[in-house]
Amino acid sequence: MSIDVAQRDQTPPSGPEPTTKGRHRVLSPPVTGQELVLIGVIAVLWAILAFTTPAFFTPSSIQPLVASVAPIALIGIGMTVVIITGGIDVSVGAAIAVCSVITAKLVLVQAGQSLPVALIISVIVGGLLGLLNGVLIAYGRVHAIIITFGTANIFLWIALKIFNSTTVNNIPDTLAPLGNGAPGRTFGVPNSFLITVVLAAIAWYYLRHTAGGRHFFAIGGDQLAAQLAGVKVRQRILAAYLLTGLLVGLASTFVVAQGSNLGQNVGNGKELAVIAAVVIGGTSITGGRGSVLGTVLGALLVQTVASGVTQLGWRSELSDLFVGVAIIIAVGADLLRERARRKR
Amino acid sequence: MTTASTGDGTSGGPAQVAQDQQSTEASPQPPSTSEDRTARLQMTDISKRFGAVRAIRHADMTVDVGRVLAVVGENGAGKSTLIKILSGAVIADTGTITYEGRQVSIRSTSDAMALGIATVYQEPQLFRELTVTENIFMGREIRKGGRIDWAAQTQKVVELLALLELPPRYATAVVGDLSIAEQQQVSIAKALAGEANILILDEPSAILTDAEIEVLFRVVRRLTDSGVSVIYISHRLDELFRIAHDVLVMRDGRTIGTYPIGELTVRKVVELMVGGILTETKHERKLDSEGKARLELTGLGRRGEYHDVNVAVRPGEIVGLFGLVGSGVSEIADSIYGIDHADSGRILLDGRPVSPRSPLHAQRLGIGLLPADRKQQGMFTFQSIMFNISAGHLTLLSKLRVWVDRVRERKIAQDMISRLAVKTPSENQPIGAMSGGNAQKVVLARQLVQRPQVLVLAEPTQGVDVGAKEEIHRIINELADAGTAVLVVTSDLPEAIRISDRLQVVRNGTTTVEFGPNATQVDVLAAAAGDVDGQQGSAKRPA
Amino acid sequence: MTVPTLSEPEATAPDKRSGARGPERAESLPARVIRALLTQRIVLLAVLIVLVVVYFMVLGANGYLTAAYDFDYMSAALINAVPLAMLGFAELIVILSGRGGIDLSVGAIVSLAGMIFGFAYGQWGWPLWLSILITVIVGGVLGLINGILVAYIGFPALIATLATYYAYKSLAVVINNQRPISTRPIQDLYDSTARSVQLPVIGAWIPDVPKGIFLFLLPTMIVVWLLLARTTYGRRVYAIGTNDVAARWSAIGVRATRAGAYMISGLISGLVAVVTVGQFASARPDAGVSGNGMALPAITIAVLGGVAITGGIGRVSGIVLATVLIVWMNAGIRLAFEGNAGPQNQLLALGLLLVFAALLNGFALRRYGGAG
Repeated sequence: MSIDVAQRDQTPPSGPEPTTKGRHRVLSPPVTGQELVLIGVIAVLWAILAFTTPAFFTPSSIQPLVASVAPIALIGIGMTVVIITGGIDVSVGAAIAVCSVITAKLVLVQAGQSLPVALIISVIVGGLLGLLNGVLIAYGRVHAIIITFGTANIFLWIALKIFNSTTVNNIPDTLAPLGNGAPGRTFGVPNSFLITVVLAAIAWYYLRHTAGGRHFFAIGGDQLAAQLAGVKVRQRILAAYLLTGLLVGLASTFVVAQGSNLGQNVGNGKELAVIAAVVIGGTSITGGRGSVLGTVLGALLVQTVASGVTQLGWRSELSDLFVGVAIIIAVGADLLRERARRKR
Repeated sequence: MTTASTGDGTSGGPAQVAQDQQSTEASPQPPSTSEDRTARLQMTDISKRFGAVRAIRHADMTVDVGRVLAVVGENGAGKSTLIKILSGAVIADTGTITYEGRQVSIRSTSDAMALGIATVYQEPQLFRELTVTENIFMGREIRKGGRIDWAAQTQKVVELLALLELPPRYATAVVGDLSIAEQQQVSIAKALAGEANILILDEPSAILTDAEIEVLFRVVRRLTDSGVSVIYISHRLDELFRIAHDVLVMRDGRTIGTYPIGELTVRKVVELMVGGILTETKHERKLDSEGKARLELTGLGRRGEYHDVNVAVRPGEIVGLFGLVGSGVSEIADSIYGIDHADSGRILLDGRPVSPRSPLHAQRLGIGLLPADRKQQGMFTFQSIMFNISAGHLTLLSKLRVWVDRVRERKIAQDMISRLAVKTPSENQPIGAMSGGNAQKVVLARQLVQRPQVLVLAEPTQGVDVGAKEEIHRIINELADAGTAVLVVTSDLPEAIRISDRLQVVRNGTTTVEFGPNATQVDVLAAAAGDVDGQQGSAKRPA
Repeated sequence: MTVPTLSEPEATAPDKRSGARGPERAESLPARVIRALLTQRIVLLAVLIVLVVVYFMVLGANGYLTAAYDFDYMSAALINAVPLAMLGFAELIVILSGRGGIDLSVGAIVSLAGMIFGFAYGQWGWPLWLSILITVIVGGVLGLINGILVAYIGFPALIATLATYYAYKSLAVVINNQRPISTRPIQDLYDSTARSVQLPVIGAWIPDVPKGIFLFLLPTMIVVWLLLARTTYGRRVYAIGTNDVAARWSAIGVRATRAGAYMISGLISGLVAVVTVGQFASARPDAGVSGNGMALPAITIAVLGGVAITGGIGRVSGIVLATVLIVWMNAGIRLAFEGNAGPQNQLLALGLLLVFAALLNGFALRRYGGAG
């Protein structure tokens, strides 16, 4: 399927007839201009890094990079849906803490359970947390940002209580297939990343080709109009936060799998990293428009920058600076495009 | 008896159509002509009040299969309430509605939609980020297996688009990229996709060019040919003669009657709309008719909105600008106040050309403006009366430009409250809970603090009760007497006539006929609706 | 703007002559009290403060606390109120300005400006007043950048301040290679800014109060209060937060006012940087962003204090009371639980309080049409 890049940005239909390649293209194209730019930027960055640090293109450097993208991108899928509906969730960092400590401490260390059990429990816990957010936001009629600020605190309390002021040590390697080491890879690609890509593809498909998926966009575009059109607004909003919670649960297993210790500050600040990835990927913070592909690319860009900064021997905090700049550029470009469109 | 012919899948409901319906006489009206007609829906003895205000009383309306019913009436006549009742946005207090012979109750928009009633509003309620296809099928997607059947949806959309004379490629266009007129067409397509058999068009031609209006009419004719009933609300009376079969006239909340178009002329319609209302005694004003104009617009134009506008207002004079929806009259006001800028022509203040770049600039030039949309553009809703009045003059009401002079501010607020007879226990009351008339007085008070040289009032009594309306008119007269040049921009006809020393009609984006103090409503409305010569339906259409 | 088509007399507020905010019928005393509680945030906060203090005092009297919850303790605990309330004022102004106003970067500004202060006073030997001045100015510039992004370029505030949060946070660490500055002058600052002192004249009867309250909190509080309640600028902020279309039509410079709000937030954050350096006797690169950062508690204080997240509603008194409530509640919790359970339970209390306050806001809005 060819990608007609300029479709979204072309002059309005009163202009020349677009080519008919893509008789099957009935939606806006699957890849937007912004995403292509991101791909380009990432490619350029990788090229630069490959030249300046020969060590960059080795497996030992690419693999951790890709593995680190996985949790952010995975949660980013849920966050993308949430932001598309016009909401936001700043409690995911704390939720990671809850799910990972429960998994590490209770399931693995204390109860010695197997991987499937740990997975299921982590996902269920995450889902419960997301459900709480969803219920409060969908039915409480309060702004998502306030509610999730509040639940962030509550989740953090839960996590710290379970941590009981000690780092969790000696975590068995039951979750190794999801981790960074050799058992965690298939054909050299970290499993966590593969899982993320698969789920992202499913989400992409759902958002694009099912009624339920399109309804998210409607809610973000105009909630009242969506309701009048028969969209089950409350249920959809609840589903968005529930999904995010489930994905947090899954992502937490990746986090736990990455080491034999789990510190109490796990997940700290991760919500901002996820939001950054979503925003850089081209999803509009005001809702109604967005893409999972962009989020994955955004997460990849952020992690590439972080890895590159380390490789180049710069201070690791500089990557934060670049993330900030990337957000400005990405959203700024988006703003300019919106303004140009409105002028027509 | 005719039955509705079934057309391309957009026809109406079950086959009860052939039943003998009560004939279309519901209220005193001339007998129907020899055309056969079948009633699809009938509203009888509908009344609705909002609080103390009776919006409509004993209204009757019959909607026939395959015919276009135009609903006309002045602002406040009750048109929108009647339509809202039909579309389920408002529930009637009394009266019955029968659909194809059986009584129904419409208590919500979904009830109305279930009956096949669809409304296309002026403001398209579309999702700007989604494509036309997605908009049309939102909430009723065609599915195959678990996924959306894009092919089937696109096909249906292309059919609908063809009906509207839009090319197939629009099916995948993003709505936000379309022009307003195109978005309106998409709204119509959306209504049709829902198998509508009563389509309500609310002022559809207001935003369309002549060519687009032609397209719209063709679409409407196609629809009626296939049996859809169309209700067409419009102020543009000359258009009705090209598209409507019957005209329902409303006045003061009542339905005066339904008349086949063949028996009417524009002038007759206007007379029916206006009725025998006499203009109330006009305030006698002495005018210095030889004085120089304080505000003058010469050849003012702004692409896409208005052109060749010529208006002159002398100090102490009240000039009215009367125009119907879409005439461009409110955009002219915006340009005087610096919200928008004209691209041609000149604005002269006491003979000097000025170019207001912003409301602040306009204020410094001595121009004040009362905005048309009180809620959106005028009110700081949960702030106090005093806050609202001072908001426009913070630098003036301050010491050293920084400290708010609360003593002075309070005094001014109290003065204004008594001068404008605002009903309130104190100047600290939040403005949000006040009635329309009182709130409007507060917003007006803001404009009066610095005794402007020129005051433009846009829709000064819209949504205001009769008592407050009187008072606001009194204040306007006082202002003029004291020397301000007043320009009243309004779509309220009796108000325009009553308050103006001179009244100019704005139509199709330009100033046309000017009337003196003795204009009659019928003349003015006829001029504004396009029938200057009094000929039925043959009004010259400007290019 | 189009001329409205069909005008009907307003259906919504037909005949409310006296304009009472609530229903017209006579209200019983309990109903009036409930309405006051729900709509007047100040009242609710005051009641909660009393409840909290009484609760902990009772606990203490019954021996459940590890130390006495008395006035001395409560007064000493107020040292935490200083940075918290000040940043609460910063968020107040920004959120008041409307259009989704929020400032996620305050903690990062505190960190970065704090490092600047560390350099100026701790390393370059500038006089204290100059060092403070430059720190505040730096904060203002950093805030102004936010203001330009939001007001002139049109970034959503959440995004702009998120980006600057990242940028400033990293700069704070980078400019001194992640090392804090704890030279002698800095360490001495603790004595001059953070220690508790006995007040003159009445000091014998009331507990010692941390200096920071007088040096920083009270002046800032007074300035912010004057700004919002008495100056033309403050009126403009409320106006643009209430309805920025109407503000434009009222000849108010919307963009300048909004940008100014973010600049003021930065100025206050710069001053908080000085407070923080004094309090920890060290200029730390992660001062404002460690743990959960300072932005979250500040925003929580604002929401708790009755600020409407959509703008136009909020008062200094709400912020102050909300801060006092949180600080005294946290102080009590610290005594009621041993070890780490204390700080943890503070988190829980804060989270529950926030959710509760937000739901209350929503309920009051629906029932009474507005909360004050």
